[in-house]
Amino acid sequence: MSATLIPETGSAASTLRRNFWRGVWRVMRRKPSRLVGVVILAGFVVMAVVGPMLLPDPLPNDPAAITRPPSWEHWLGTDPQGRDVLALVITGSRYVLLTAAITAVITVVVGTSIGLFSGFKRGRWDTVLMRLTDMKLTIPGLPLLLVLATVWRFGSPWQMGLVLGLLGWGGVARAVRSQTLSLRERGFIEAARGLGLSTTHIIGKELLPSMAPYIAMNMLISVTGAVYSQVGLFFLGVLPYESDNWGVMLNLAVFQAGALITPNALGYLLGPLMAILLLTLAIVLVVDAMDEIFNPRLREE
Amino acid sequence: MITGTGVVKTFKQRGKVLGAREVRALRGVDFSIPKGGAASFIGESGCGKTTLGRIIAGLESYDEGEIVIDDVPMTPLRPKQRQPHFRKIQMIHQDPYSALNPTRTIHQTLYAPLSLRAKQTGRSAAWIEERAAEVLSLVGLDPGTVLGRYPHQLSGGMRQRVVIARALTVDPEMLVADEAVSMIDVSLRLGILALLKDLRERLGVSVLFITHDVATARYIGDDGELYVIYRGQVVERGPVDTVIADPVHPYTQSLLSAIPVLHGLERPGEEPVTPLSSLDESQSDEGCLFARRCPFQGERCADERPLLQLTEGVPQEHACFYPERRSVIARPMSEV
Amino acid sequence: MSNQAPGVRIDGLTVVYKTPAGELPAVRGVTLTLEPGSITGIVGESGSGKSTLALSLLNAVQPPGRIAGGSVEIDGLGDVVGLRGEELRKARGKHIGYVFQAAQNSLNPLKTVGKQLLDLGRSHGVDDLRGLVREAKELLGRMGLDGARVLDSHQHELSGGMRQRVGIMLALVLNAHLVVLDEPTTALDMITQANILRIVREVHAERGLTTLVITHDIGVVAEVADRLAVMYGGRLVEQGPTREVLGAPRHPYTRGLIQAIPRLTGDIDEARALPGRPPTLVTVPKEGCVFRERCELRMDVCDTVDPEPVADGPRLVACHAVNSASASTTVATKEHA
Repeated sequence: MSATLIPETGSAASTLRRNFWRGVWRVMRRKPSRLVGVVILAGFVVMAVVGPMLLPDPLPNDPAAITRPPSWEHWLGTDPQGRDVLALVITGSRYVLLTAAITAVITVVVGTSIGLFSGFKRGRWDTVLMRLTDMKLTIPGLPLLLVLATVWRFGSPWQMGLVLGLLGWGGVARAVRSQTLSLRERGFIEAARGLGLSTTHIIGKELLPSMAPYIAMNMLISVTGAVYSQVGLFFLGVLPYESDNWGVMLNLAVFQAGALITPNALGYLLGPLMAILLLTLAIVLVVDAMDEIFNPRLREE
Repeated sequence: MITGTGVVKTFKQRGKVLGAREVRALRGVDFSIPKGGAASFIGESGCGKTTLGRIIAGLESYDEGEIVIDDVPMTPLRPKQRQPHFRKIQMIHQDPYSALNPTRTIHQTLYAPLSLRAKQTGRSAAWIEERAAEVLSLVGLDPGTVLGRYPHQLSGGMRQRVVIARALTVDPEMLVADEAVSMIDVSLRLGILALLKDLRERLGVSVLFITHDVATARYIGDDGELYVIYRGQVVERGPVDTVIADPVHPYTQSLLSAIPVLHGLERPGEEPVTPLSSLDESQSDEGCLFARRCPFQGERCADERPLLQLTEGVPQEHACFYPERRSVIARPMSEV
Repeated sequence: MSNQAPGVRIDGLTVVYKTPAGELPAVRGVTLTLEPGSITGIVGESGSGKSTLALSLLNAVQPPGRIAGGSVEIDGLGDVVGLRGEELRKARGKHIGYVFQAAQNSLNPLKTVGKQLLDLGRSHGVDDLRGLVREAKELLGRMGLDGARVLDSHQHELSGGMRQRVGIMLALVLNAHLVVLDEPTTALDMITQANILRIVREVHAERGLTTLVITHDIGVVAEVADRLAVMYGGRLVEQGPTREVLGAPRHPYTRGLIQAIPRLTGDIDEARALPGRPPTLVTVPKEGCVFRERCELRMDVCDTVDPEPVADGPRLVACHAVNSASASTTVATKEHA
């Protein structure tokens, strides 16, 4: 057996990783819409991370230009305090995206672990965990948030993300569990057990990668869910106004600036709306590629 | 050496409306497969042959009886303690498509069990790589081209070879091949069978072959034993060629009669046996299990259950009150 | 609608599939005649194009595939390749019955067999639905099943062999006289397989059908077919009366295939595996003989020229080596005479 034929483990792993990213690029190029999605998504991330740093805090207000329609000076017009709407959308994006990211991470981590454990162990653990999930699924989210809002001010995206995340993992847990139940009957899982491989290996290296597209899709979808629910809460006005959030903007545009009555405030309404729409669109476009990215066969075709 | 005595397995099925139905998958089966030997289980689908194979490979538990692996009885052991013993017996699944993880390369697939092995025996990482290439060469694959590939880049036959290579990483004493060639292209099947046979000869691995195709059973090892299983009971057992050439149980005769005849090349047997009906699990458990389908049913068959035994003038064990030789198999034109 | 077994003439049929590497032929220039009232068996491995050929009879090749050339003339229907839309839908079922591969999956799991039968009847505009059910019960009874019980069952309540028989019933119930069976016994055990094959033979004779059986298993064809056609890499490499082909195969592929079947008697070492592996759509050679990579009779001409099928009595073989050898022997015998 010539040793030169066989690559070392280290280099083999790095080749694999290189091939993976090359595959991802191929998948992206296959449909231009996916690239558009990625570009928009990246744009939002950059906007949320860098944007607020470039703008003065607090934003300058121009008392001479209160609730103006879009113009060359103010692309999306101004709000009732004379602030630039575009700048508001940019500063608001940080809260929205950070919350969404935290929610997604919590949903997926909690949901996947519970689903995997439950489906893999079966028996008593499964029963207990699934009853717990059922109970959680029956908790109505909105009323709970309303109650929580009376004690918590949700000034920080961390609090918001934590609450939304803990409310959202039920569906993922159920879905992952059923996936696990069907995968564990597959020959390769049985073979792994027959070979005496550890449970950690079976779950981490055999089961999880097979479910990766599924989990990634759930993660992206829960991002949109988190965006909607937080914006909705702020829009309804059940949460305090001091946060920079698109929902606060929408609320003020409708109830304070009268966007439904005067065309002057249209920019104030459309700014955050367009942002939400674009973000959702980007995520939908990217979700389309997940299956192909994580399936080596589709990736390389 | 792997032996079993009186192995019983009952599956409980939840009833449609109420009550649980019990399916007796195995009704006290004895078997014995010597080191480096070969054995084949044949029977219709649903006869219990696959369940027995899975029990022998440690993938399924059994309710009663005893399995002894290299002089160690399994029944007194706890599941965790049984594991290292059952690891000596590796299963080759029927479907090479689901038996390999599609998200892992062949290298990764072989690396996991080998690194476990290396840890146990204190061997180096270089040994793992060497051994991975070695097992692939053993199954007739070129390590250089196969290691970096994903399963979908390989043909069915190559995948089945990889599955066998993976089983070899733990130095098994026995391979349990459950319909291991039925999903592989016809022109490649013989290659896999030849490989199993070759592994027997070169590595001394014993092979348990589970199939409904008797001819392939013969190919794995004509020195082995054939077990004909019907509704959880072994109804005929003996050397492969004896049972094929001179079957005495009407069920064995039905199985052999059902094998397609290559007209033009072969002449069909003179007394083919066709069962009176299809397999029906709900049929009564009274008397001989095959009685309802048997064209030669006698007086004793309805009430008494014949047990596997040797009788005078018949070289193989059988479970029939009225054993009789019948010429059922097709023979080459040239021979007659 | 004719009540006689139709004849089928496939001429120069080519079916291509669109792939990233361009349009590749799955079936190339296949010419085959199904005599009225005969059972023809097509044998081939995965990727040989046998299932695609069967689908072409119904003009049912799905995109990315399409019929790129040739014709399929069916008595009483004309050239199927030209049929479109409603005409085509009516022809399927009424003229041509198709029993799908692994009938286990071709039934709707949510509906009883009877409901599916009625759906079939309605979609083909059958007025006498009672008559249809009667006919179905009769067919099922003929195949050894309790018709009423089966019609009331869901898919999961039937065994593999029973589902296969239901598939045959659905193919025949509209009184089709051309029946295509795709892998009729795959995944069935030997006794059930023997049963199904006996039923296929008997129903074929009783109802006066023209039957086409597609399979990877030579044994199945040997049991039922009058005529055998062997496909490899999208080409028909050999055809002829079943017994003659099995008794004295000429094409090296047919020979290898028969030799690779383990037998019940004789020296087991006589069985030998074919070297190499069957080509896929992408790896099949663009020019020259499709089998040359695995062939023991390979010659220089095989690399460049695709051998045409040459007739010798009722048999056709597409092989340079075999045909040049037989040509020289005929010449030799003529000279001798």
